[in-house]
Amino acid sequence: MATRIATVLPALVTLMLVAGNARAQEVGDATRGKVVYEQYCVLCHGEKGDGQGHFSQDTTPVPRDFRQGTYKWRTTPSGSLPTDADLERVLITGLYGTSMSSLRTTLNHQQRLDVVAYIKTFSPRFKTDKPEPAIVIPPEPAYTAESVKRGADVYDKFNCAQCHGDGAEGDGPSADDLTDDWGNPIVPYDLTEGHIKCGDGGPEIYRVFIGGLNGTPMPSFADSISPAEAWDLVHYIQSLSPTYPKNLTGAPNKPIDDFPP
Amino acid sequence: MRLIGNRIKGGIVIEFAAGPYLPKACRKPRLLARTAAVVSGTLLLSQLALADSYTVIPVTNGGTIQGTVKLAGPTPTIAPIVVTKNQDYCGESIPNPVYVVGKDGGVQNVEVYLKDITKGKALPTDPVAISLVNTHCMFKPRVQAATVGQQITISSEDPVLHNTHPQNAETNATIYNIALPYKGFSVTKPLPATPELIKVKCDAHEWMRAWIWEFDQPYFATTGDDGKFTIKDVPPGTYTLVAWQEAAGEKSVSVTVAAGKTVTADIQLQPK
Repeated sequence: MATRIATVLPALVTLMLVAGNARAQEVGDATRGKVVYEQYCVLCHGEKGDGQGHFSQDTTPVPRDFRQGTYKWRTTPSGSLPTDADLERVLITGLYGTSMSSLRTTLNHQQRLDVVAYIKTFSPRFKTDKPEPAIVIPPEPAYTAESVKRGADVYDKFNCAQCHGDGAEGDGPSADDLTDDWGNPIVPYDLTEGHIKCGDGGPEIYRVFIGGLNGTPMPSFADSISPAEAWDLVHYIQSLSPTYPKNLTGAPNKPIDDFPP
Repeated sequence: MRLIGNRIKGGIVIEFAAGPYLPKACRKPRLLARTAAVVSGTLLLSQLALADSYTVIPVTNGGTIQGTVKLAGPTPTIAPIVVTKNQDYCGESIPNPVYVVGKDGGVQNVEVYLKDITKGKALPTDPVAISLVNTHCMFKPRVQAATVGQQITISSEDPVLHNTHPQNAETNATIYNIALPYKGFSVTKPLPATPELIKVKCDAHEWMRAWIWEFDQPYFATTGDDGKFTIKDVPPGTYTLVAWQEAAGEKSVSVTVAAGKTVTADIQLQPK
């Protein structure tokens, strides 16, 4: 048995590597991406990728500074670089409540990959480091009243109110003194609003608990929260607004890039 | 603020408790170190082969550098920290620990190290983690040092939410950001794969601050409450000895070490 595993395992690993490489080959061209960047991105994000473009003073929040390789919206653990797909996803969805609009119909897939490749050139981290393996998101249990009730207790246990407040309106005791990696003031999310920038579905919210939001005060609870607790917390947050989509049937998690047509 | 210029250019040898299926020599130590910690729960950095920046040589008759760090002038008066949240637990105010000066004038929490040393004794191979405790709404210790490949155990003794958020001190770039949601929580994480000065903050309690010097060489010491430091097993030669204090900044002195001898190098920092 052990011998068989020893024979099969390298073969499997090889297969996985080949599959990984096949996907990895779908990369953008930074030279072509520069052209796209200078047309669509430079006015806010700046020529140097420092987030200090012409219109940057007029946006709240300010445009992302690409030079550190620090990104909030990722499928990867706390502190990790994002994947190319993570960066492309922001171009597709835009970011709700910010000046970052969707470029989904403006740019095709290849153009998006190209501009992602160019954006990565602003941070030396992409040359020496790789994104860590994606956060594993287990199947979402059904949204139920019991789950919401348990989730309210999870909200208390994990002291979410410290920043987000007792009523989850983003007004906790620490709310007024938060800054991001760039020293800009940043406020905790008002979770009752019913919209979360990176997506309102269960898996998207779950991912924020586990990965945290790099560059912001939102930490990772990967080492402290159990999957069951995290799902209950997702459902509690979703209970705070009728706008949130709710998985009433316990349907399988939608793939993250399964965007509606 | 000056940071260590040298960076390890690959060649870290990592052995994993889980098995030999990962590459032994890898150029992505940061990624693999974190991955391994996740996969196996343990990480053994059994050997550090340090290319370019530092070479391990036998040191049989090294010298010792010792000294005391003092301030050149009176200790600046710094107002206590005004606690603005969780006062019921953290209290109304906390003495500000930026300058901790003993009765003989020795300054605590100064990191003293040999700059640009290229060869000498081996780095500690002991994988035991350094420790950073969140206690009474402060980090303990305030200043400490570690070597590349070591881990850090982060824990909380407080019944309030803390988050331990190490950043590169020069760029403020997040290294990671770990929630410590309740009393008794503890977790062990790898330090970054490259040496750097790390600033640690707790966003939930913005006054909390700690500093971790991560080196790729073993010649460093953090001053205790008497301001004294000792650096042992130094190969004979002339070196630049640097003392760093979070507010006063850096002061460099030249020091010549003779075989088997102890040299005293007292340092005066200009308070700011």
